[in-house]
Amino acid sequence: LSKDSNVLHFYFSEARDRLKQIREEQSRSSREVVDIWEQFLSYFSDKLGNDVWPVYEQVCIAACDCGEISLAHRCVRELNRQFPKSFRVKGLEGMVLEANQRYDTAEHLYKTILQDDPTNSVAEKRLVVIYKSQNKIKEAITELRKYLDSHMADTDSWLELSDLYLSQMDYAHAAFCLEELILANPHYHLFHQRYAEIRYTQGGTENLLEARAYFSQAIKLNPNNIRALYGLFLCASNLATKQRSAESKNMKYAAWAAEQISQLYRKLGGRGTKSSSDSTEQIKALGGMFDKLQLTSS
Amino acid sequence: MAELLLDSDIRIWVFLPIVLITFLVGIIRHYVATLMTSEKTVEIQQIKDSQALIRSRMLRENGKFLPRASFEMRKHYFNNKDDGYFATQKREPVVKNPMTDPTMMADMMKGNVTNVIPMIVIGGWINWAFSGFLTTKVPFPLTLRFKPMLQRGVELSALDASWVSSASWYFLNVFGLRSMYNLILGQDNAADQTRMMQDQMTGAAMGMPPDPSKAFKAEWEALEISSHKWALEQIEDELVNKNDPLLENVRAQRNRNL
Repeated sequence: LSKDSNVLHFYFSEARDRLKQIREEQSRSSREVVDIWEQFLSYFSDKLGNDVWPVYEQVCIAACDCGEISLAHRCVRELNRQFPKSFRVKGLEGMVLEANQRYDTAEHLYKTILQDDPTNSVAEKRLVVIYKSQNKIKEAITELRKYLDSHMADTDSWLELSDLYLSQMDYAHAAFCLEELILANPHYHLFHQRYAEIRYTQGGTENLLEARAYFSQAIKLNPNNIRALYGLFLCASNLATKQRSAESKNMKYAAWAAEQISQLYRKLGGRGTKSSSDSTEQIKALGGMFDKLQLTSS
Repeated sequence: MAELLLDSDIRIWVFLPIVLITFLVGIIRHYVATLMTSEKTVEIQQIKDSQALIRSRMLRENGKFLPRASFEMRKHYFNNKDDGYFATQKREPVVKNPMTDPTMMADMMKGNVTNVIPMIVIGGWINWAFSGFLTTKVPFPLTLRFKPMLQRGVELSALDASWVSSASWYFLNVFGLRSMYNLILGQDNAADQTRMMQDQMTGAAMGMPPDPSKAFKAEWEALEISSHKWALEQIEDELVNKNDPLLENVRAQRNRNL
């Protein structure tokens, strides 16, 4: 018997530690969390002691993710019994409502939370999510702007706002949001690349010039960023058609980018042995494409 | 000098009780403190102010990565004379007088109740109940200067300095049990008195909320003198020429000629 209980205890601590690890890494392994809880840990919930409350919260969110509404309800009920006045539990309740697609009730709940505690950023962000999941992008943008007005150093929200603007094809505002992200994190190549793409999409010589610079910065920060290389190539060749005589440098940039791209492909093609003939063909096709683009541009 | 022998009853009735009492009092203090701490409420205006300061600092540090127009736009937003954030926001100084603000009074009271009063009461009680005992001996010789520290309450000039008196044993426990509390109660526990003393030593001004209008003024000045120099001015040429074989050749030739 004691051997059995030892084995059980081993499994128990294993499960508990795995949940804790997921919680700390903030990885979104919702299915795994729900499975661990449903199949094993829920039978030993009293053994967890005070650690059971963060586990309930974690399981509740994971259950919402997996659409296991009844499990989520159970977790919220347990938490409510322990912390009857907590805003955090109320926020969870709202998330369960959202998962159940009862958006109006959830919205009302978040608004009451915000009335009691105007600094509750979770509720405010959830409101944005509610609008977004109902495809009310305009409302989501207004709400998020209201939030960012007081939390202007929250980079994740700036990123979200730029996505919302992009979905509305409001490039000027999206670019502004990306600028905030670059300010907060100037050595991250994807932000530079994204910003350049937005400017490129806006069009016009001025914007293309800036897009060219930011694509280059992204390449400088990460020479393997193939998307930025393509972007630089497109920018430079576009500019070359526009200002034929003024700047001959653009041709040089475009040629450089094309060279880099084909080099990268060659390197990758050399790595995979079985499809080397495929990749040589691809490189050839690529070269043809570049030639065509340059022909039209020159 | 003859070798001193301690009664084994001293170990059971003085040495161990002092350890036990200080330890348990620390644990009780932790739980009382967690019961009594009131959550600090933050005004949304305070959040906004601090975040604006962070954002402005980022603008000063990393503004060179933005195009000129974007940088000037943000600078204008903060520093514009007519409606800039730092120029127009007037905050009344939040330096509250602790005597007039009841919540601060209550906080101070709680701090005293959980920290100072038990220390005085328990210390006094230990002094009264266990005074005049030698409890233990440190296993190494010490110089005479340690006598007032280790032999409080036992003023015997002939006694070897490595003997520890009961009152001193209590103080050694109070300060030495810190890692035990860390082990049992977790990292940020309230049982730790040494931390409270450090707080008092690092200056009373620490707890005061900074005056936002002063911080705004400083940030306004710093932002005003920072000018924009685009870091990406020559980026394409840098990039293209970095590993341009043609240019390498030219450079190599020039080096050879020199």
